[in-house]
Amino acid sequence: MASATRPTTVRERVAESDRSVGRLLLVAAGALFWGWLVVSWVNRWVGGVLVPVGQPLVPPGAVEATLAGVPGLAAYAADAAFVVELTPEFARGTWLTVVITAVSLGLGFVIAVPLAVTRVYGRVSAWVSLAYTELLRGTPLLAQLFVLYYGLNLASYVPGALSGVFARNVVWVAILGFTLNGAAYQAEYIRGALESVEEGQITAGRAIGLSKLETIYYVVLPQGLRYAIPSWTNEFVYLIKYSSLAAFITVPELYYRADQIASETFRYTLIFVLTGVMYLALVLTASKVMARVEGAVAIPGLGAERGE
Amino acid sequence: MSDDDFLRVADVSKWYGDEQVLEDVSFEMDRGDVTVLIGPSGSGKSTMLRCVNRLAEAQEGSILLDGEEVLSPDLDVDDLRREVGMVFQGFNLFAHLSARGNVALGPRRVLGLSDADAGERAEEQLDRVGLADQLDSYPAELSGGQKQRVGIARALAMEPKLMLFDEPTSALDPELIGEVLEVMHGLVDEGMTMLVVTHEMSFAREVADEVVFLDEGRVVERGPPDQLFERPDEERTGRFLERIASHD
Repeated sequence: MASATRPTTVRERVAESDRSVGRLLLVAAGALFWGWLVVSWVNRWVGGVLVPVGQPLVPPGAVEATLAGVPGLAAYAADAAFVVELTPEFARGTWLTVVITAVSLGLGFVIAVPLAVTRVYGRVSAWVSLAYTELLRGTPLLAQLFVLYYGLNLASYVPGALSGVFARNVVWVAILGFTLNGAAYQAEYIRGALESVEEGQITAGRAIGLSKLETIYYVVLPQGLRYAIPSWTNEFVYLIKYSSLAAFITVPELYYRADQIASETFRYTLIFVLTGVMYLALVLTASKVMARVEGAVAIPGLGAERGE
Repeated sequence: MSDDDFLRVADVSKWYGDEQVLEDVSFEMDRGDVTVLIGPSGSGKSTMLRCVNRLAEAQEGSILLDGEEVLSPDLDVDDLRREVGMVFQGFNLFAHLSARGNVALGPRRVLGLSDADAGERAEEQLDRVGLADQLDSYPAELSGGQKQRVGIARALAMEPKLMLFDEPTSALDPELIGEVLEVMHGLVDEGMTMLVVTHEMSFAREVADEVVFLDEGRVVERGPPDQLFERPDEERTGRFLERIASHD
């Protein structure tokens, strides 16, 4: 409801209602997607209280029967039932993709902030940071994953505390790979934002007696990280999608499961369109959430949209 | 040193690369004095000011503040700066903090006051500069004059023994200059020791104990405002004052 004045002409009112219908549809689709994902996860977590683990939340047979009775949709009834049958696999894969992305992004951020800070304000450490960033950004992610998994065989060195969190320890190897790689990209986005913080802010911080580190912590980062949100969201969105590379080191995330089902059923188009829809739902959620975050932490008086 | 030399700047020189920007600059201030540095742009007056709180590093000379050598390599610059407040031409308010947050940050993080005490001090100082009604406004929501008054409050909140003003009104629209000068007049009346770089000659005339005219990094002439403004000894001083006057 950003508009300050009420729409007056009929045309404006139609456009306004179109927008709210679109928003409503998007929210409904999002609720359906996340509801399905979370309910499926809870069902697995509690050991199949709702439906036996591995079974769809809705019986495929019932879906097929219902659609068969609807004129025009009858032709798709069998396909729909097929899709419903696959939902448990997709739910598991998508959930793992969400977890891998979220954990890698979070851990990557923890590394990226000091990387960016040393890059901008360090001396020797700036070079170390630069070398790290360029190495990780300059080599293929898949090659990095292969080194960690096949080369260093890290899956067999997962510490006891972490072992068993996931069904297979190789998930940690993927998280490590995405963390190290994502940190380099995140650091680049954050570096750019830090550099856009005015020099006078640092001068003013130093002038009241804050040390250089304190000034960075209390003055530069709170501003720089806000400015970084839009470009940082890119990295978030990319990571959701390139987390699919984990499939190549046998992590059973969304892409891995889709690929397996497709090679068993030969329904490549249907399976990968469906997979695409899953990724799209995740990406749209990520950008919506980040837009909300950006709005929530916006500095009053700054930024493009602000009413009187 | 004698008791009345609260700040003693002696033979300070500074180079940027090969270019000398300060050459044997000397002047003294008593506690409670107001000294105004004037001079054409590029004369080194802002650099001189920044050498006093070590935002700029002088390579030669001595700056004694309250008996302590400011230029000593052993000096903790953060300790120095908590005792020397600074007000900037471009305000440099912390963009992400409200007026209260701007003023409270130093007391909170540098002086170690509690959140509540730092907030209270911030409110007192903002009240002192006439901004009690803008505590929760952010810099982008304030006028230039209001911003600069927050900047002054921020420096005052550290309870400094010396205040440095670096062209505090130069970035302001003419109609906003008055409110900032008014606050500065108030500080003079309270006995604050102030070293001011400004082009506001009327301010200098009214409140300065001494005016120092710098040109090309050197002190050309210094003296009480009456003498320097009415009967300058140096021709260069006269020419500069005429040029300034023709702009007013």
